[in-house]
Amino acid sequence: MKLTRTKAFKTFAGPAWYENPINMQMLGICSALAVTVQLKTAFVMTLAMTFVVSLSNLIISLLRNVIPGNIRIIVELAVIASLVILADEFLRAYYFEISKLLSVFVGLIITNCIILGRAEGFALSNPPHLAFIDGLGNGVGYGSVLMSVALIRELFGSGSIFGYTVVPERLYAAGYEDMGLMLLAPAAFIIIGLMAWLQKYLVNSRK
Amino acid sequence: MPETIKSIGFALGMCLVCGLLLTAAATGLQPMQEKNRLSDRQKNVLYTVDLASRDKAYTPEQIRDIYEKNIDEIRVSAAGEIAEPAEEGAGQDGQILTIYLYTKNAEIENYIIPIESQGLWGKIYGYMALENDGSTVAGFTVYEHSETPGLGGEIEKQWFQENFEGKKIVDRSGGFVAVQIAKGDVDKRVPEEKEPHYVDGISGATLTGRYLSEGLEKTLSRYEPVSLCFRKQRLSCRLQEPTDSGDK
Repeated sequence: MKLTRTKAFKTFAGPAWYENPINMQMLGICSALAVTVQLKTAFVMTLAMTFVVSLSNLIISLLRNVIPGNIRIIVELAVIASLVILADEFLRAYYFEISKLLSVFVGLIITNCIILGRAEGFALSNPPHLAFIDGLGNGVGYGSVLMSVALIRELFGSGSIFGYTVVPERLYAAGYEDMGLMLLAPAAFIIIGLMAWLQKYLVNSRK
Repeated sequence: MPETIKSIGFALGMCLVCGLLLTAAATGLQPMQEKNRLSDRQKNVLYTVDLASRDKAYTPEQIRDIYEKNIDEIRVSAAGEIAEPAEEGAGQDGQILTIYLYTKNAEIENYIIPIESQGLWGKIYGYMALENDGSTVAGFTVYEHSETPGLGGEIEKQWFQENFEGKKIVDRSGGFVAVQIAKGDVDKRVPEEKEPHYVDGISGATLTGRYLSEGLEKTLSRYEPVSLCFRKQRLSCRLQEPTDSGDK
């Protein structure tokens, strides 16, 4: 069997590309606006989010047969919130600067609709290994959009990539200027809009 | 009924597991976090007197070295006199004030006061450095706050903090006026003779500005005896000598 035909691969590729949470489902836009001014913060946010969504999917899938139906949303939220706080505490201990830059947005992963959506829509009705892979796929799908937006915003807004200046001094001397709009939230709206358009076009043209 | 009991039991178990896990993580990582916070505070003190640049990255060790080499921490009574070491224990009741002195070539260059202010959503903590003339602001930073990112949260940004540099806390006749945050741009909103006492406000964060203005005024007026001393006697201000760390 070809790798691309396995169920695991499909579970991964679905959210990572065909049903991309941001571009195709328009979920998690809020944090995509907030943390994409720099690649560094976008990268850490991607890691934190992938960590939370894959582990919450795994844990909820493991418990799916014992969670009482009437309190399942509360249980899902308790799992997600605990994981988010763990990630936040860890960042504060080992990556203090970045955690200050991300400020409340790490905590706000709890309210990221992608996570609860996957827990409720996928983990509750699928075995643990698939749920975990689905979480990874969503993390990658979310993260790739975040990183692309951040790349464009940092490159054109501050002339740097991962904090290293890449726009040569000569260009500035010749009259080039960084684009202030890129540092503001509306720029993320515009970029995400264009990316959603591009991806929908690519996905639909294959059909 | 058994359904309900099962739900309650599950919820209790869940709480226990999550609670234990988070407690363990929080306690285990606390020493690390405390260290980071201390280093961050020291770095912010250094920012106010330009001993560290906001554009550069520093390791905690570098920060500590620069800090210990240049900054002395002293305590003074509310009247502006050096507190005896015996009184240090009484520091919590608000009668004893902490100030940081930046000494350059054996002369006090700046004195730095800790700022604690009410904000819209929580406390705002920062530092303000004043020149040794006792009236000019040399620098201002905020290291902890709970304001809304993008709105009140802009108080932690460089552009906002740099506005404070060169502002005066006394008017021309020498009366105390503190530094206020204008509602909008200073050159449009504030009459010209008052411009030295105002900094540009943040749009969408009028309330944060108002709270911080109040907090600054309150803190600065508590430190007024110290400022007065610097204003009157400049470097001969008594604060200079008695610290044992002065002759290091």
